[in-house]
Amino acid sequence: METVTNQLVSIEKPEIVAPPNWEPVIMGILCNWCSYAGSDLTGTSRIQYPPNIRIIRVPCSSRVDPWFLIKSLQTTADGVLVSGCHPGDCHYISGNYYARRRFLVTKKLLNFIGYHENRIQFSWVSAAEGPKFAKVVAKVTEDIKKLGPLHLYKKENFEK
Amino acid sequence: MDYTKQIQEIAAKLFAEDKIDAFVGYRMTGFDKNQVPAIITGADDVSKLVFNDKSVFNLSNYLKHEHTRNKRVGLVVKGCDSRSLNLLLTESQVKREKLYVVGIACDGVVDDEGKKMQNCVECMFPDAVVADEMVGNHGRSGSETLIQTGSETLIQTGSETPIYKINADVLDLGSKDLVQRREYFEEVFENCIRCNACRHSCPLCYCAKCCIDQETSTLYNGANTTSSAFHALMTWSLHLAGRCVDCRNCEKACPSHLPLHLLHKQNEQVIYENFQEHLAGVHEGDRGAFYKYSMKDPDDFIM
Repeated sequence: METVTNQLVSIEKPEIVAPPNWEPVIMGILCNWCSYAGSDLTGTSRIQYPPNIRIIRVPCSSRVDPWFLIKSLQTTADGVLVSGCHPGDCHYISGNYYARRRFLVTKKLLNFIGYHENRIQFSWVSAAEGPKFAKVVAKVTEDIKKLGPLHLYKKENFEK
Repeated sequence: MDYTKQIQEIAAKLFAEDKIDAFVGYRMTGFDKNQVPAIITGADDVSKLVFNDKSVFNLSNYLKHEHTRNKRVGLVVKGCDSRSLNLLLTESQVKREKLYVVGIACDGVVDDEGKKMQNCVECMFPDAVVADEMVGNHGRSGSETLIQTGSETLIQTGSETPIYKINADVLDLGSKDLVQRREYFEEVFENCIRCNACRHSCPLCYCAKCCIDQETSTLYNGANTTSSAFHALMTWSLHLAGRCVDCRNCEKACPSHLPLHLLHKQNEQVIYENFQEHLAGVHEGDRGAFYKYSMKDPDDFIM
């Protein structure tokens, strides 16, 4: 039997140590027309992907206000994955182009205030890309496991 | 920079011609040498108006006020104020035909210690970009103090194309590592008392109901905790990204003296570097970086 000796610590706040068998919580915000259908295909094709992701369906990736990402990180999530249609494939013609700008600024601002920018990740997954969705979720889960738990003052929240 | 006399003359003239119902300017506080915004509703009070280096506040914020909303208003704007006014006009919050804008060729304002404010040192548009009438002279015309200019000619006569300078504080903080930055901002969020003065003082925060006030969605959001300050300030700065004109009304209003400009300047820098967008509110009809897109926007960070 192999025992895990190295403990996971939060990359932003090294004094925060993950409890044993810690699993990250990932908020998945998927666009209705591409990524949500893609994740559905992953399921119907019986492809395994990590169960850490909690999926929310939105009409379009441009529906995602940066506020949603901040809010998920503040409350429960250790990371967020936002996924939409490939550029040019948006059901609403240009929604994902608008979203792309917001994502970049949000990512950079989060990094600027001292949180690793891999906490927020983005992908383009079409309705036909079931295997890609499984790969994306696996990669995001792995990335966030490396970063450790997001402390974000949660302890303070629960104590009061 | 002392335009008290000119502004009093203009206000008196506007009231005499019955062009305005209210005039928004500055007056002395009465107990110290600082100034406060003043909304004057009659020609009797015109002598109270002042304008000099200490006229720091952004008056376009006062267009939401009950004495000015839906009325004919005369307004004094500096360079930064005129840019936020431009955004309010573009976002249909105020009507241009109801406004009489007195633009200032600003030389920069000073803080409480008499030092020129940092955003004025870095300012790229000191002259008002929207104006019915200009006060002051930056050598754009032969006349000594009073120039009649429209917005378009003013931008065109601006001598050279401004070059964007990265804010020194942002650069300094950006060079530190992740843990140091997190510690710095954790202290900022700890010191925030969630009074929302930054939001109320911001001319571009005009929503009747703000999303960061949704206290019931999580139990502690309205409370004065570090977590809620993180949520409020981050959301606020991201909703102002591409729109903030760096007037620093928020910093002047903040009772905890938090460095709120860092968040805005960081967003501004990212937008300028990645999307080659110009600063907000300079051109009429320009809604800011988040209301348009380009096929060439970077997407190497997307899987």
